[in-house]
Amino acid sequence: MHDSTLKLTLRYLVSILIVGIFVFPIAWWGLTSVKPISAVFDKDRIVVFDFEPTLENYRVTVLGYSKRGSKEDGKTLMGTSGNNSYDGRSSIVSSVIVAVGSTLITTIFALLASYGLSRMRFWGSQGYLNWILSQRFLPPVAIIVPLVFIFHDMGLRDTHAGLIIAHTLINIPIAVLLLKSFMDDIPIDIDQAAMIDGATRFQCFWMVILPMVKGGLAATAVLCFVFSWTEFLLSLFLTSSIRTIPVKITTYVTSTGSEWGYISALGTSAILPSFIFILLVQRHLVRGLTMGAIKD
Amino acid sequence: MGSVTIQNLVKRYGGLEVLHGIDLTVEDGKFVVLLGPSGCGKSTLLRMIAGLETVSSGDIAIGEQRVNDMHPKDRNIAMVFQNYALYAHMSVRENMAFSMRLKKTAQAEVDERVNWAASILSLEPYLDRFPKELSGGQRQRVAMGRAIVRNPDVFLFDEPLSNLDAKLRVQMRKEIKELHQRLKTTTVYVTHDQIEAMTMADQVVIMRDGVIEQIGTPLDIYDNPDNLFVAQFIGSPGMNLLSGEIVQGAGGKMFQTGDVTCELPQNSAAMVGQKVLYGIRPEHLQASMQGSGLSATVTVVEPTGPEIHLYATLAGHEICAIAHQRLDWKPDDELKLNPMVDRVHLFDAETKVAIPAG
Ligand SMILES: Nc1ncnc2c1ncn2[C@@H]1O[C@H](COP(=O)(O)OP(=O)(O)OP(=O)(O)O)[C@@H](O)[C@H]1O
Ligand SMILES: [Mg+2]
Repeated sequence: MHDSTLKLTLRYLVSILIVGIFVFPIAWWGLTSVKPISAVFDKDRIVVFDFEPTLENYRVTVLGYSKRGSKEDGKTLMGTSGNNSYDGRSSIVSSVIVAVGSTLITTIFALLASYGLSRMRFWGSQGYLNWILSQRFLPPVAIIVPLVFIFHDMGLRDTHAGLIIAHTLINIPIAVLLLKSFMDDIPIDIDQAAMIDGATRFQCFWMVILPMVKGGLAATAVLCFVFSWTEFLLSLFLTSSIRTIPVKITTYVTSTGSEWGYISALGTSAILPSFIFILLVQRHLVRGLTMGAIKD
Repeated sequence: MGSVTIQNLVKRYGGLEVLHGIDLTVEDGKFVVLLGPSGCGKSTLLRMIAGLETVSSGDIAIGEQRVNDMHPKDRNIAMVFQNYALYAHMSVRENMAFSMRLKKTAQAEVDERVNWAASILSLEPYLDRFPKELSGGQRQRVAMGRAIVRNPDVFLFDEPLSNLDAKLRVQMRKEIKELHQRLKTTTVYVTHDQIEAMTMADQVVIMRDGVIEQIGTPLDIYDNPDNLFVAQFIGSPGMNLLSGEIVQGAGGKMFQTGDVTCELPQNSAAMVGQKVLYGIRPEHLQASMQGSGLSATVTVVEPTGPEIHLYATLAGHEICAIAHQRLDWKPDDELKLNPMVDRVHLFDAETKVAIPAG
């Protein structure tokens, strides 16, 4: 049966509306980042497209040029010759290091842990998962002060490694839970078939289970990456000179006003690495990798 | 050598004992079928042979070697799982080659073995497909292919044909049997389908609740069940059973239930006064519309094609007879039944054990 044109049109309209709702804030943010300040703050009207686009905000935040005196408000950044406090380059690097690092470590740990939890029976294996998960029940802010002290004493404060460890700890419970549910979907007979075929436990994991759980692994990696990329609280407290992008952006809200241009420029730029990462893994983000393994 | 010897094998899950001392010898090259109702421990026994379940006590040996504590990968067995358990991310070829790849077999030999297995199982056109692109029957054959390429000492099958449709099941049944005749590899095959057991087995092992009830050739088990359970379990429609006692009649010992009396085999070991169950298979009850015999009333008529199943009441007992003539039976018809005396089975009412016919 063919859908009527009306139905089809309606369907497209609704899809466009929904996509619009999600895309609009990002598009507006991107637009803001290329507006001169006068267009951002026009008290008489909302400026949509009739402004002179400028890449100044990106020049300063992403390329690290020092701020030019701007004509509109007549203010200039004083004194700090060459040392541009709006330069976001090092924070981008830090964010990438921390997000990639913690994602990598989290997925490796979670992969091994979830295989064990899914496949092996040991005393307390049931409670174990809940126990791991309980680590996520309390809000990080509740333990932030002791954490800062511990990290300080261990020499991890204000290091990439420290932040990677912190993000890994926060991510692992969810990652294990997620991956375990993917592993549980693979019947244990597959492991046993592999072992009868002559595989050791590790070969069975590496050659049989891992390829089948690739989709879950990709999903887990995306979640971990996005979490780490946008995480604010721990980064704020555990670092001082190393600044990840979310923390860096808050420094653009100064006593002399919020630099909306810079905020939107760095914010828009921050979308890009996540986007690239997700593009890289999304071809693995498919269901049904175990289809055909068993009779339905 | 591929014989399997099992001695006093016990399996416990925690405090729950599910196999209570199994003794079984599968001779080299034989096709043995484990048959029993659901939950009787067939899969557990098979999986213990495979090394997928630990042994609680007792011994398992493959050939001369005791394998109780041997890892599955070292037992040189191949197993076809109830749900096939194929490697979904590998092509049919890779599925079959997996075990040889693990052993680092030379590529030329791998190709040769895979092609050989594929030709036996008519899988050649599908070698480069993935399991999800195959039908149920083809997947089943891949699972078999994965087993036979290895040239194992023992094949283990766990209900490989359940869930296939009836026609495919019959076809695969024949293929598996042919395969066994060709390869002569020792095989242990689990099923709860008695037709599969009867048609494929050299020896049938009937299990119930974790014990072996009887071991024998299919026809032996059918013709001479050791006890009531085996008698009832094998055969469809099942054996007719009437409870009553042995009385002394004019021509010798007779079986009596209500006002019906039946003849017994000449040398039956049954004793006068003994409470017994009288068993007769439906095809050994000759039915006619008139003449002499026990009078019964037809209740249901089921034509199956080759034969007609007649359900009737005889002295208050529900009874089934199989007729081969296409007579026009109707419900409420009068029916004359003549049991074939030498096909009568007697079981002690208390012990349920068969009473020798003499
Ligand atoms: N892991 C386990 N823990 C406890 N009991 C178990 C376990 N596995 C099986 N059992 C019990 O052992 C008994 C035998 O199980 P098994 O799977 O061998 O039966 P089966 O004969 O193969 O039945 P089916 O024809 O349904 O496959 C059953 O009563 C089952 O409940
Ligand atoms: Mg079973």
